Amino acid sequence: MSRTIPFEGDDAPKSAPAPLPPRRRSDGERGSEEERWVLGAGRAGPTELGRSGLWELGVPPGWWRATSLDLLTAGAHRISSLWAERDPKGVLLRALWLGEAGTRGILVRTLLDAPPPRVESLLPELSPALYFEREIAEMFGVEFHASPDPRPLLLHYRHALPPMIAAPDRAPPLDERSRFDFAPVEGEGVYEVPVGPVHAGIIEPGHFRFQVVGEEILDLEVRLGYTHKGTERLFEGLDPRRGTQLASSISGDHSVAGAVAYATAVEHALGHPPLERPTEMRRGALLEVERMAHLLGDIAGIVLDVGYAAGAAQANVLRNEAYTVLEELTGSRLGRGAVAVGGLARPLPREGLRPLAARADAVAKATVALLRHLEERPSVMDRVRGTGVVSKEVARALELVGPVARASGLDRDVRRDRPYGAYRGTELRVTHGSTGDVEARLRVKVDEVVEASRLFGTFLRRSGEAPAVPPAEPPRDGPGFGVGLVEAPRGELLFAVSLDLERGKLSRVHVREPSYLNWPAIEYAVHGNILPDFPLCNKSLNLSYSGFDR
Amino acid sequence: MSAPRASSSASTSTSTSSPPRSIKGRPEGGLGQVRGELVTRPYPEGPRPRFPAAMRTPVHDAARCDASGACARACPSEAIEVQARGQGEGAVFRLDYGRCTFCRACVDACPTQALSATDLFELAVRDRRDLVLEHRAGSRAPTAPTPPTSPSASAMLTEVQERVQRLFRGSLSVRAVDAGSCNGCEVEVGALTWPSYDLERLGIHFVASPRHADALLVTGPVTVNMRLALEKTFRATPDPKLVIAVGACGISGGPFRGSPEVLNGAGSSVPVNVWVPGCPPRPEALLYGLWLALGRLEQRLERGEVPAARSGSGQKA
Repeated sequence: MSRTIPFEGDDAPKSAPAPLPPRRRSDGERGSEEERWVLGAGRAGPTELGRSGLWELGVPPGWWRATSLDLLTAGAHRISSLWAERDPKGVLLRALWLGEAGTRGILVRTLLDAPPPRVESLLPELSPALYFEREIAEMFGVEFHASPDPRPLLLHYRHALPPMIAAPDRAPPLDERSRFDFAPVEGEGVYEVPVGPVHAGIIEPGHFRFQVVGEEILDLEVRLGYTHKGTERLFEGLDPRRGTQLASSISGDHSVAGAVAYATAVEHALGHPPLERPTEMRRGALLEVERMAHLLGDIAGIVLDVGYAAGAAQANVLRNEAYTVLEELTGSRLGRGAVAVGGLARPLPREGLRPLAARADAVAKATVALLRHLEERPSVMDRVRGTGVVSKEVARALELVGPVARASGLDRDVRRDRPYGAYRGTELRVTHGSTGDVEARLRVKVDEVVEASRLFGTFLRRSGEAPAVPPAEPPRDGPGFGVGLVEAPRGELLFAVSLDLERGKLSRVHVREPSYLNWPAIEYAVHGNILPDFPLCNKSLNLSYSGFDR
Repeated sequence: MSAPRASSSASTSTSTSSPPRSIKGRPEGGLGQVRGELVTRPYPEGPRPRFPAAMRTPVHDAARCDASGACARACPSEAIEVQARGQGEGAVFRLDYGRCTFCRACVDACPTQALSATDLFELAVRDRRDLVLEHRAGSRAPTAPTPPTSPSASAMLTEVQERVQRLFRGSLSVRAVDAGSCNGCEVEVGALTWPSYDLERLGIHFVASPRHADALLVTGPVTVNMRLALEKTFRATPDPKLVIAVGACGISGGPFRGSPEVLNGAGSSVPVNVWVPGCPPRPEALLYGLWLALGRLEQRLERGEVPAARSGSGQKA
């Protein structure tokens, strides 16, 4: 019996596809509701989920692994995220699978209603599942049968109960550190270098455990969770309109992308009508100038870590100019508090937009000039060329996203593949490299600064004069669940929001930052590199600690 | 000799402009060259800059306040409280700049324009209580005075400050510690080293080890998972030392306040000498905080307000 699940493009008729063939019952005594393909909706076959552009599919827990692996192999889908949610009957698992550009994503869910919650692991076939499953295990107490790595991920201290399940008074961590063993490497001349959590630069905390021979790195294991703030739980019970601030503080260095992804998810969940075109354009303009500033920071970091301070200074001057433009538009250098559910928190200025576009354009031109300058510096190019390689095969197996994936030859960009807001109907040039080394990432990022400045100018021109402020009272007739996918400067960023529509409160917010998928890349990028090149690998990948830990 | 150009090893170059001519040994095309300006901004040695685009700091006018509470309801950070008192006593308006994330929601929500948005950025203080404003709604009369700093604490504060000024002689080696921030503060702290702000021109620099530091600059709400590392970093820093708590998170936990996984600010784990509000504080606000720590500038904010006498230059003569 074929288990292939049909999926259709946006052009397809908006009705649900043909029902899937009924499956025989695996164990006759389980309730009938969970055995239907679609939970809740009471219909057979995947259902359309509001305006999210997704199909939703419910499966019984026994089919979780088979369905997922079918999507991976037969369906040629990649996993975008995997998360859990409290349910009166147990724990609800959800996974978002994305197919080719232009096709609809498929949201698969299963209800683990037999205590203790237990399901088969998607490992080893699906590498990205490792972090997802470790997090769900510690946060919701779900046991992933046959998982090869049961160590905690974000929690360093033991908890009386899994913190996403516990009542608030049982949620604080106990004064007892949990056990965490690094993978040992043994042999003559092998030594271990522990680094962090407090690092030498002005960067976020995390721990790196290097296994080294001479100067060459044999292995690296990363331990994260130092900046874990329990953020997802903090969303629960909030008025959805009040959540943008937390959404901007997941990775504070791309606040706008976080706020837009969150607002999009909430708008879908509430059943918000499509935003007016000028509002979408303004959001798009903020996203693009934020991208410029962010990527210039990466470029500065790479140049600084090859020891070329003058080049880094130049990139940072350009970065500061991009932040100044963002401040002119929003009143905040990082674009904080600019985006609201249903639009923007307040109208953007109407005057002086043309000079802002010209300033962004000057930044882009100067960035290209900087790259040309670097190309003439053998001492710079020697350090970046062939360093920190992430092969296309590794990138695909890990399902990397963003500029890092593109530098390794994966041609993916949410803005083009699943266009949202301003990007609908906008031509977009996506560049990608092939070598997957620091040089490729540097070049991809320079190109993206240039393209971002062009888009910024386009969006500003099209943003018109319409009021951009959100309606006072948002609608409440949506599906109560929504997904926002945004191409943040680091890559595909996902917010998934569940709402209690009656009370008008958030009941669950899940965020999967691009770095959540990209972090394992660093453990591959450093293989065979020398220890002094680690900072270079690190900067070129620019992984968010807070985005991972939340 | 010149390095190979966009080689076949990377197939990414799709540049849109031709490279300008090369100047020996210097990157060209920078904004300074484009606009013919010096990029380094003169503050704090030069005049106090204005930021008309960044009108975000709420300032409260008690005379206009009708205690509607709209501001408190709009505030996503619980930075504002409006409390009704007994009959005839009027309501009390309380604003904590240590929790404020400068989102402007309160200003937009206020029905009587009692709250206005300003570009006030010199908000750093030595005493946490100076970040809290308390007004009686509808009147200019002050509320019951906040109890003064206890003599011993205040004496200690002064002593530390004097020692610091004597020993550090206006210069400072700073170790930045991220105790769980969202990385927003790191952008602005890092910006101090960019040519635009050029911290080192002021004799202040960031060092790689706490063993080399005179001061710790702490960002983030202090997560449970970072507490030990922060305490060890503090112990590793030689005495005398200063601690500067940065941002809404570093002061009060900010947007993460109340989560069981955070400790609501640097004060939970280490003694703090200077508090720098913001979300994140802009680079000039950080420069002000650093100079305040060194005693090179006067504190402007007193009990949450800039007294009329200090509304001019904050710089010491």
